[in-house]
Amino acid sequence: MAESPADVLLKGSSGRTSRGLLRIIILATIAAAAVSSRLFSVIRFESIIHEFDPWFNFRATKYLIENGFYSFWDWFDDRTWHPLGRVTGGTLYPGLMVTSGVIYHILRFLTIPVDIRNICVLLAPAFSGLTAFAMYLLTCEMTASPSAGLLAAAFMGITPGYISRSVAGSYDNEAIAIFLLVFTFFLWIKAVKNGSIMWGALTALFYGYMVSAWGGYVFITNLIPLHVFVLLCMGRYSPRLYISYTTWYALGTLASMQIPFVGFLPIRNSDHMSALGVFGLLQLVAFAEFVRGFIPGKQFQRLLTASIVIVAGVAVVGLTALSMSGVIAPWSGRFYSLWDTGYAKIHIPIIASVSEHQPTAWPAFFFDLNFLIWLFPAGVYMCFRDLKDEHVFVIIYSVLASYFAGVMVRLMLTLTPIVCVAAAIALSSIIDTYVFASEGPSPQSTASDENSSSEGLRSTRGPNVGISSYLSKIIMTSSVVVYLLMFVAHCTWVTSNAYSSPSVVLASRLPDGSQFIIDDYREAYYWLRQNTPQNAKIMSWWDYGYQIGGMADRPTLVDNNTWNNTHIATVGKAMSSREEVSYPILRQHDVDYVLVVFGGLLGYSGDDINKFLWMVRIAEGIWPDEVKERDFFTARGEYRVDDQATPAMRDSLMYKMSYHNFQNLFQHGQAMDRVRNSRLPADTPQLSTLDEAFTSENWIIRIYKVKDLDNLGRDHISATAFDRGHKKKRATKKKGPRVLRTE
Amino acid sequence: MRWSLSFFLFGFLAAVHALSSSGNRLLVVLEDASEKDSFSMFWSDLEARGYNLDFQSPKSDQLSLFELGDRAYDHLLVLPPRSKGLGPALSPKNIIDFMDKDGNVLLALSGKSTTPSAISSLLLELDFHLSSDRSSIAVDHFNYDTISATEKHDVLLLQRPGQLRKDTKSFFGGEGVLAFPRTEPHTLGNESPLMAPILRAPATAYSYNPKEGSFSVEDVGVTGTQMALVSAMQARNSARFTLLGSVDSLRDEWFSATVQAPGGKKTETANREFAQQLTAWTFKETGVLKVGTIEHHLAPTAEAPDVELNPAIYRIKNETVFSIEVSEYAHDRFIPFEVPSDDALQLEFTMLSPFHRLDLQPTSRTENSTIYSTQFTTPDQHGIFSFRVNYKRPFLTNLEEKHEVTVRHFAHDEYPRSWKISGGWVWIAGLWSVIGGFLAFVIMWLYSAPAPAASKTKKSQ
Repeated sequence: MAESPADVLLKGSSGRTSRGLLRIIILATIAAAAVSSRLFSVIRFESIIHEFDPWFNFRATKYLIENGFYSFWDWFDDRTWHPLGRVTGGTLYPGLMVTSGVIYHILRFLTIPVDIRNICVLLAPAFSGLTAFAMYLLTCEMTASPSAGLLAAAFMGITPGYISRSVAGSYDNEAIAIFLLVFTFFLWIKAVKNGSIMWGALTALFYGYMVSAWGGYVFITNLIPLHVFVLLCMGRYSPRLYISYTTWYALGTLASMQIPFVGFLPIRNSDHMSALGVFGLLQLVAFAEFVRGFIPGKQFQRLLTASIVIVAGVAVVGLTALSMSGVIAPWSGRFYSLWDTGYAKIHIPIIASVSEHQPTAWPAFFFDLNFLIWLFPAGVYMCFRDLKDEHVFVIIYSVLASYFAGVMVRLMLTLTPIVCVAAAIALSSIIDTYVFASEGPSPQSTASDENSSSEGLRSTRGPNVGISSYLSKIIMTSSVVVYLLMFVAHCTWVTSNAYSSPSVVLASRLPDGSQFIIDDYREAYYWLRQNTPQNAKIMSWWDYGYQIGGMADRPTLVDNNTWNNTHIATVGKAMSSREEVSYPILRQHDVDYVLVVFGGLLGYSGDDINKFLWMVRIAEGIWPDEVKERDFFTARGEYRVDDQATPAMRDSLMYKMSYHNFQNLFQHGQAMDRVRNSRLPADTPQLSTLDEAFTSENWIIRIYKVKDLDNLGRDHISATAFDRGHKKKRATKKKGPRVLRTE
Repeated sequence: MRWSLSFFLFGFLAAVHALSSSGNRLLVVLEDASEKDSFSMFWSDLEARGYNLDFQSPKSDQLSLFELGDRAYDHLLVLPPRSKGLGPALSPKNIIDFMDKDGNVLLALSGKSTTPSAISSLLLELDFHLSSDRSSIAVDHFNYDTISATEKHDVLLLQRPGQLRKDTKSFFGGEGVLAFPRTEPHTLGNESPLMAPILRAPATAYSYNPKEGSFSVEDVGVTGTQMALVSAMQARNSARFTLLGSVDSLRDEWFSATVQAPGGKKTETANREFAQQLTAWTFKETGVLKVGTIEHHLAPTAEAPDVELNPAIYRIKNETVFSIEVSEYAHDRFIPFEVPSDDALQLEFTMLSPFHRLDLQPTSRTENSTIYSTQFTTPDQHGIFSFRVNYKRPFLTNLEEKHEVTVRHFAHDEYPRSWKISGGWVWIAGLWSVIGGFLAFVIMWLYSAPAPAASKTKKSQ
């Protein structure tokens, strides 16, 4: 039962050490549960890196292990973004790879030879155990109740909102970043409470680690100044605040500037300006406090007003001037899209095209957080009850994170920790109230006293119905237990069904219930690895860039890094144009093979035809005259692939590559696309500049080889027509004057 | 007769070194075996140059250009057939496949008979255009042989061609007059850069259909120098195709005929030399370029005299040396290749578009090759670049070399240190003065606290 350990803890019957020991055991159990619930995918499939980004991180880690830290730091990657290349060492957050590398070398030093892949696969579960521990520490700072920390740790350990990014194999920056986020906040709270330089410096240290690990560090960069600012506005300036913030800001900024990708952003980018502004404000406030000690109140008032006006004026003018002159970079597009959810769709389609940048649907909150989501407001309310500095932090954090989680699906991740804290505060308060109350002397004993001493009011004579009665205790505790059990069941179910698919390997069920593994991705990538030259350039939509780089080990044109919108638009243009337009683009970029994902045979909806409109939109952003989204919709505004598809659609390279030879699988005129649920035209599209090189078992991946220029200098359409046996017609009379041949 | 000759030739020529750079198996497609003797000087010239001639009729069952998917011959010589076509073994597709596999073709036409439509469609595919009736001949009333064509004016007398352009080499020049009897003229397509006329008709020539007795007025462009009598085409893989308008010019009687232009002297024709030049070029005895070694490396400096050869990675702003060894095949051996005076062999350093396009200078010469090289600074742009030498000229085989190298950015320790930048001294001085000032302040603070004052404040609190 849930009560018994709590009883032991709360009664005080056991000694301090045994309670501590018990706590350690509970935390260890929570960590074990956190790790083991993330192992579904390893058990079901195998120890494999998931998704897309992790493949790059994995490849980078291997590079780090093989070539050492300095060549990793200066890494120029010539196997992505052909022919531009990528200054990878300067454009990534190295924290994740370095962490794995350090673990790898420590294990090697201990003569435990572990494959780097297994370290990468299991890094996220291992860190989730640490996150649970950090969550315990953070929550313990928030409330006196000892059970809250343990509850928060347990919630954090198994809540799907966090598991979604940290299952085994999900080797992404978030794997370690959430631990760092929570731990940095814990250290910050500790620093504010104690006003100690040591805790402030530790905060800065972990903040530096966080900066090296994840772009989401900006959240901390803005949240801590906001916390300080709100405290200042509440008139809660104290030397503690001054010491902790200035220590954190000075050291943390220096630490963050050591990461090449961040560089001078902390002093030049608008996203970081609030931290700098609050730093300045804090100096002014401190100075004002200092001056107040020497000057009488009235004069001080006047002085304060004057100086506030002057400082604010100078600050506004200076900031405007610096922004106008370009010294301070303007807000980034990703930042704008946080405030205006329609911004990205209009201005930066490349951001909008990512599914995890879409606004969150409301069921997702319940799906990812279950009953925590309705305990969350209660917990926030409880923070208002005794509004200490750290509670202000919880309130600010929860307001901001709730908003961001509503804007972008992926930011659910930053909301999860504070939901766990708030929910744990609320739930522990319920448990404490009901369980602890029975032991306390107050309500029950006073009630019995009254009963025995006087036959007073009737209403007080009846059996106890307050919170101290056994009935209410049992009802409450059992319902809490039921909720907790349901939470565990829900988390396990969600983890196992929704978040444990590697997405590299797909699984489906056959009619008889047995599992059917669809392994087309790896089949195709290994085909590329084994059948193409080491230097063959592969063009595909950017989603598959990291996987091709990681699994097939071939250079790609674009990948998930998406640093160069024009290059992606070039690929989009090649995919969405006619062959005659695409072929010169392919030649110019040395493309040897083109890879498309096609789900029409199997009904796999995440295929390239469904992503096609994004390619068109991104290409249209750069070449509005040559690629037009409107051309891909029918007159009635439908997006069709059947025989009513628009000419632009049917002539596009993507359409031709997807459906080339597909009709031959079916009886004449019976070809069905199972994703779009439409019947295809009877004739298969003809390709003249590409040759089909490979099609995977379920047709999910199709690879085409780009033909060389025609040997006789003809264009490919006439060359293939000739090969098919069509004789060239005598050149018809051209209009206009005949052009004489000159040498 | 043919068999014995073949055996004789085989036994004799096996020992003789072939002159062509690409093999000596030559298939001669000749429909009428009786005509063979009228070309005897032509055949013997070819045999003397080491070719292994195999005469086949287009109707023969054994005739096939390929054996087990590979070329059965190195070169193909097609004389104009009498019948409607060349048969299934020599369909346009087969001939183009033959060229795709590096086979060379010399195709002769004749103005005496109508050219089969199969040949016409092959020519159309290569962008040679015949007149629409396919039986026109070139006529010129100013440059004809007064001895043999007094009436018809259909034996054209021409000077041997010189340089096509200033930047090309001349492989067909020389003294003497060429006689082109009953030539079927053709025109070249406008767009293809692969083809070049070897011998153009005089400005006064025009196309005439003797059967209908009419001018080919439908296309007024087919007159004068727009008409070509002999043309060459080199496919992208350097397989050569030569179209000869007049098969009669190869006959023995025209190899040493005496001709006289209107108002000129009687002269001997130079057809024999021209036929040799033409076959030598078509069958790759001349104008064949070969690339030897290609080397690129950092320019050696005083600090680092030894440099790695052909490294895969450079850095931006590196001094780089590139050199390429080119030789030219001339009849029986490789000689150093000399770029024509008005031309240059160029190196491009390319990423998407060329960042450098530099003339390569001949720096040294070996017995049979010239080494061209140049030195340049890699651009201030990282990426995957390639050294490209793209030298495609009429009558010379194509040189297309592409070597990919990576140009990386500065590594973190390759920038000059802060104190080496004189502009940074102000900041360095500021930095250390702040540090020094802070330390001095701390020391002063620690050692200057007045002791009695401290006790006083304690009391007051």
